Amino acid sequence: MLAEGALAAGCRFFAGYPITPASEVYEVMMRELPARGGLALSAPDEISSLCYCVGASLRGLKALTATSGPGWALMIETVQYALMTETPVVVALVQRLGPSTGGATQGAQGDVWLAEFSTSGGYTLPVFSPSNAAECFELAVHAFNWSERLRTPVVLLSDKEVGMTSEVVDDAALQVPALANRKGATPHADYTPYALDEPDGVPAFAAVGGEIKVTATGSAHDQRGRLRKNSPEVIEVLLHLERKIAAHAEEMALVRADLDPEARCLLISYGVTARAARQAVGKLRSEGSRISFLQIQSLFPIPQRWLERATRGVEFVFVAEENLTGQYRAALAPFLSRQQVYGINKIGSLISPKEIARKMQGVMA
Amino acid sequence: MTATALYLSPDATLPYCRGCGHALVVRQLSRALEHLGLPPRSVVLTTDIGCVGLADSLFPYLHTVHTTHGRSTAFATGMALADAVLEPHGLKPIVMIGDGGAMIGLLHLVHAAQLNVDVTVLVHNNFLFGMTGGQHSALSPLNWVTATTPDGNWTPPLDLVALLRTAHASFLARQFATSQELATTIADAIDFPGFSLVEIVELCPAYGARWNQASGAALEEIVERQGYTVGEVEAEMERPTFRELYHHKLQSLRSQAPVAEVPRIHSPANLDGELWLVVAGTAGERVQSAASALCRAALAAGIYSTQKNDNPVTQGSGFSLSEISLSPQPIEYTGLECPDVVLVVSADGWEELRANGTLAACGEKTLLLLDSQIDATPAAGRVVRLPLRREANPKRAALAAIAAWLEKEPLLPMEAWEAVLAAEPPERRAESAAALDIGRRLAAEGVAQA
Repeated sequence: MLAEGALAAGCRFFAGYPITPASEVYEVMMRELPARGGLALSAPDEISSLCYCVGASLRGLKALTATSGPGWALMIETVQYALMTETPVVVALVQRLGPSTGGATQGAQGDVWLAEFSTSGGYTLPVFSPSNAAECFELAVHAFNWSERLRTPVVLLSDKEVGMTSEVVDDAALQVPALANRKGATPHADYTPYALDEPDGVPAFAAVGGEIKVTATGSAHDQRGRLRKNSPEVIEVLLHLERKIAAHAEEMALVRADLDPEARCLLISYGVTARAARQAVGKLRSEGSRISFLQIQSLFPIPQRWLERATRGVEFVFVAEENLTGQYRAALAPFLSRQQVYGINKIGSLISPKEIARKMQGVMA
Repeated sequence: MTATALYLSPDATLPYCRGCGHALVVRQLSRALEHLGLPPRSVVLTTDIGCVGLADSLFPYLHTVHTTHGRSTAFATGMALADAVLEPHGLKPIVMIGDGGAMIGLLHLVHAAQLNVDVTVLVHNNFLFGMTGGQHSALSPLNWVTATTPDGNWTPPLDLVALLRTAHASFLARQFATSQELATTIADAIDFPGFSLVEIVELCPAYGARWNQASGAALEEIVERQGYTVGEVEAEMERPTFRELYHHKLQSLRSQAPVAEVPRIHSPANLDGELWLVVAGTAGERVQSAASALCRAALAAGIYSTQKNDNPVTQGSGFSLSEISLSPQPIEYTGLECPDVVLVVSADGWEELRANGTLAACGEKTLLLLDSQIDATPAAGRVVRLPLRREANPKRAALAAIAAWLEKEPLLPMEAWEAVLAAEPPERRAESAAALDIGRRLAAEGVAQA
């Protein structure tokens, strides 16, 4: 469904390398993309996969690759390159148990930090995390849309349990946004590839091979793409890379909120664990507990307004995620300073609704 | 504007050290482009890290993409690949890379050569890493003095041209930066419709020349000592380009028949809440495909399902199993807690369910439908044994087990299976129908009940 979502989003280029549990996306793209007029290709490694995608995007095509933690580790240099050159590209990171080659066929939500905090300088990489097959489709479209609109790499953070579980999807119920495309530059003499004065904060795109001369560089550059050192304009260009994301942060926020205005307790989850969390909330409510539930689909930028809304009147916050130390909980912590925050964590297998309910009951008793 | 002005600006100040071969290469590249008369906007100069990466700003009318170390070839390949499916097309990516970049990005050179994409690579081989202080590279000659081999290099140099020949590179050449032929060689390489690479042998005046007391004559000596051929080494025009191959492949893809969909039926399923089922057997015996057929039958009857498969790393040996949940409502949590039904059709499957804790998780109400050859008994659950392997044959045992279970606990209407069978390829249909019949019959007869 992630691959189908990418196709629906207008993806026309895919390069991949086999890795469990992301190979399903690779196989679907190899089968479907050429038949729909695009190009799907087997790359010789993950570095090549993403470089090919970035190259194709520079030429003007929407591009996707799919990998898991070990492959993502190899891609990070190229992700930064895409960020610096403001080249749209989407990477599906289907998590598995780590570290290292870990458990290829075991699920995990352990790559949240690795995905988000992979840029030198700490730039925000938009990260969307689906919890089921339908969300894989929907969030793939959102990921492409934001990648195109903001000219930046975007991560679709799935996991083995979401990516390799077959499930029934009701096509008619899918909530798919209108498609967005990168804003094209109109040919004129003084095209500025990294212009800072665009109203939406995003420079217009010119494709390599088109009428407008393209100057792309991964090195610190001014608005014209010229390598400069110790120039205030270069710093402005760098700041702009973060500003353009921040300016759209609230618009990017995607959550499934199930809030109870009387609740003193909020459960937050994302990805596959959100499914168990939703079930746990149902059970606890049926036993009389007042609980709010927030499934966050757009992990980064952190949907701050939703957090504010969801924590109104709340004393206890629980964050359920399948990793050792509460990676997303740590990222949320600065926004939860007025609440007592508890992690519900586990590795090696899914966190069950019972485990979530038990932990919450234990704290609230 | 003169033709020259379209490429290297005549008034450009070249940023290289005095005597550096890079300056010669940019001038000859400009002459080559001029000779070919390529529109500047059809060329993208893709530069690597190192002094070679300073070329971008010298060509104000070409597209320029300055990349990461060693990856310039891969980015250029991506652009060329995309260009191959676009109309109009005709982009000419030219990669400028050093010997260090060529080695760290060797894989990209090999794959670009295999693909035969229309990319031209100019390898500036000055036998060391110049920009970072003159360190040894994989192309340093034997005994070459560098910052990291002060007593001389002792590992044999990589013959890039010979290596890429084995990767089916269609156009390979080697020239001295000082050669009068260089512009022609570069022009031939760019004009070539597939992958082309020119290794340009030159000296780094800052390090190579100084530490090795080397001059131009030394270069010829080195090349000779290493047994390298100079000039155009390989130019195989007959090999199809990536674009040609891909468009040929597209023709065959478009003619493929779509996969048949399972139609919805109108008889309702008899299922109130979630039901958890595990089917386990031996790899290669269609366990997971039988499970998938069950999910399709459930879908036909309007039932939601999730299916998770597991097998050992090798895929084709040992156990094979599927965990399925069925529900009239969308399914949230997909972890198996206490299974309602466990179907085991081989000893491999039994052993795995014992090892992964499924058997221990069975409750008193769990129905365990086992092949008669499995004589072990679980701690809890209702056990039924049927001669599935003997009667249905091992490859149909899983589907027969599903049919036998549904005969005992009729959750899905018969029409659901008819819908599934109708959507199967004809060669499979009869076999699946037979497996279903055998399963139903065995269950009805209640053969060998424990």
